[in-house]
Amino acid sequence: MTASLQKGINALKEVIDAPIASFFSSCVHCGLCAEACLFYTETGDPRYTPIHKLEPLKRVYKQEYTLLGRLAKMAGLSKPVTDEELESWSELVYDSCTMCGRCSMVCPVGNDLTYMIRKFREGMAVSGHAPQGIINATKRTVEEGGPMGLKWPAVQNVIKHQQEDSGLYIPVDQAGVDYLVLMSSMEIVNYPEYLGSLAKIFSKAGITWTLSSEAIEATNAGIQIGASDLAREIVSRIVNAAEKLRVKNVLSPECGHAYMAIRWEGPNLMGRPFKFEVVHVLELLDELRSKGVLKMKDKLKTPVTLHDPCQIVRRGGVLNAPETLLKEVVVEFRPMTDSNKWNWCCGGGGGASAIHEPEAEELRFKAFKRKKTQLEETGVNTMVTFCANCRITLEEGIDHYEMNTQLIGLTELLAEHLED
Amino acid sequence: MDKGETLLEHMERQGMSRRTFLKYCASLASLMALPPSAAAAMAEALGKARRPSVIWLPFQECTGCTESITRSHSPSVEGLIFDMISLDYQETLMAAAGFQAEEALQNAMKENYGKYVLIIDGSVSTGMDGAYSCIGGRSNLDSLQEAAKGAAAIIALGTCASFGGIPKANPNPTGAVPVSDIIKDKPIINISGCPPIPVVITGVIAHYLTFGTVPELDKHGRPKAFYGETIHDRCYRRPFYDQGKFAKTFDDEGARNGWCLFELGCKGPITYNACATSKWNDGTSFPIQSGHGCIGCSEPDFWDAGGFYKALSTPANPLKYVAAAAVAGAAAGVAVSFANRARKQKAKSEHETATTSDLEK
Repeated sequence: MTASLQKGINALKEVIDAPIASFFSSCVHCGLCAEACLFYTETGDPRYTPIHKLEPLKRVYKQEYTLLGRLAKMAGLSKPVTDEELESWSELVYDSCTMCGRCSMVCPVGNDLTYMIRKFREGMAVSGHAPQGIINATKRTVEEGGPMGLKWPAVQNVIKHQQEDSGLYIPVDQAGVDYLVLMSSMEIVNYPEYLGSLAKIFSKAGITWTLSSEAIEATNAGIQIGASDLAREIVSRIVNAAEKLRVKNVLSPECGHAYMAIRWEGPNLMGRPFKFEVVHVLELLDELRSKGVLKMKDKLKTPVTLHDPCQIVRRGGVLNAPETLLKEVVVEFRPMTDSNKWNWCCGGGGGASAIHEPEAEELRFKAFKRKKTQLEETGVNTMVTFCANCRITLEEGIDHYEMNTQLIGLTELLAEHLED
Repeated sequence: MDKGETLLEHMERQGMSRRTFLKYCASLASLMALPPSAAAAMAEALGKARRPSVIWLPFQECTGCTESITRSHSPSVEGLIFDMISLDYQETLMAAAGFQAEEALQNAMKENYGKYVLIIDGSVSTGMDGAYSCIGGRSNLDSLQEAAKGAAAIIALGTCASFGGIPKANPNPTGAVPVSDIIKDKPIINISGCPPIPVVITGVIAHYLTFGTVPELDKHGRPKAFYGETIHDRCYRRPFYDQGKFAKTFDDEGARNGWCLFELGCKGPITYNACATSKWNDGTSFPIQSGHGCIGCSEPDFWDAGGFYKALSTPANPLKYVAAAAVAGAAAGVAVSFANRARKQKAKSEHETATTSDLEK
């Protein structure tokens, strides 16, 4: 095991770029980011102020790249970043930050705090200060193919069942098709009907598609832990498979960070543009809806509200499709206060849901109170969302507070009410 | 304050005598060069006036205009006039924020459609579809077009709103333009100045309340009553100019004797404003009286009109020292950037590709 402080500091020196330098120099210390962070609003603890979470990175920036900082370091006025310090910061960088991006939205000088946390994690990861849960997920993704250690035979099994249930053929490794479909382990295990639903929709729309035996997993724990080298390895599996099969598009599953990983971080990690387009499943469905292919036979009678996953809506830019699609399939939709790009995180994004230490879980439940309040204000008992990770975190929160709330995935809901 | 209360009733309740009020009307009338009979008409009209709704939108501005209005005159009769308008939306002064504020704005626009006075301070950014300056997720350009529809008249407050001001200064990165470039179908009164004089604003509002019309404007859309003469023509140092007595530096004999500041760059001769007569800080003083030349802040593009300390008669040659300073600055910048680049490059070359075993100690 070769993590070291030296590697960590070197990584921090390496990630500090022009945006980070300008962000740190332009911060006006107004503290508005605190109010945007659910870990601060639900605990009232000022340590959770987003810009404070970046303090060690800021010190490295000042000591290495500014004249005054260098002088202060030489005079001993500015202490070097230590292992102990980074260890104590692990909670602030991982447990209490879901990289939901709300703080970046409110910053009056336009500092992208989420970007900086993402970069800071590069140093945390290789200095050995990432939480064990995320380390395990990353290892499994790199070594076994997915964060849950799911192997191809298990996927084949799911394919077989879904073929039987839907009566439709699910193609594998077919070259030259319109869409390469990715999934997340969580969906394969917990919501396998997703695959059957897609088969149904594709066959109706006359779109050709395939799964790949080399790249089924869309999630990327390498990004969550903040190890670009590993993240690149993970994302290159998809890129290689898609380019080998010469597909026109890659379809990202509902899963929020998977979309962010392949659509936004992917080309940067690879250092080149892709030879295919990346489309989120809801973007595709909304396009089919506007073409009149996606028609509903009936609507859900119970009133519902919508939880917008941060990585798809706020960070991903899929702003309108989810709500438009939802309105197609429900009778009454009551939006939450602070919805769409202003939505509050479920509390488990950015890898946080993979951390299983009791303190981290307790903190997550505290943060969940924000969602609980939002939910109670709508007065409905059914919540729709479109991210498997949000769904798991929300379910844990609902169980913890013994709430009477039912959760539904948007794609499944659409498939269920689709005209035959 | 009761919405139905008239200005006079309100002032009486505040302990202001009728005599003081009449004096105020008379001085306002004389300041605006109206005939003496206008003072009575003004007193009568103002006394009966009810609060008109005023919506104040800040765009690309520094809040200096608001500071000017609120700070200098707050306990005076002008301040009370300000109490007397129904200021339904003013981001800096209002208690509400966020959705409540936006709601107040929408309500005020709906309830007083066609009747409200719209005050704009700050220039309007047009670059990138106005994305440089947004409030509540909407561009200023968008807000202006919406709010202007129902306005009876628009007051462009300050040089930014009137002429583009400092945001429009070369190279104008945000594509800033004055209000009058966007809105063409409403009466627009430009009250320029950086910031403008408070009494000019209250004067224009009083005029509007009294006569229900926009005052007479000059070629730049400014009320002639306040912008009819140059600072120079009304300056108490004018006799020294006529005698050829000039201060040559800020600490010479001439400066101490209070001679004309023309040679130190005073822009008074080409600047139309009321500073020399109405003065600032409740009539205390104005820049020239404090020993500094006028910078011409109420004129279009004053920021790009050569140096503030260049006499009007000398050609502007701002590049002489600037070029040298720019070269020195750029050289220092390049040196620092090379040093930092080398550091980062070193960090890059020391990077070892991370494997899963690098995640743990």
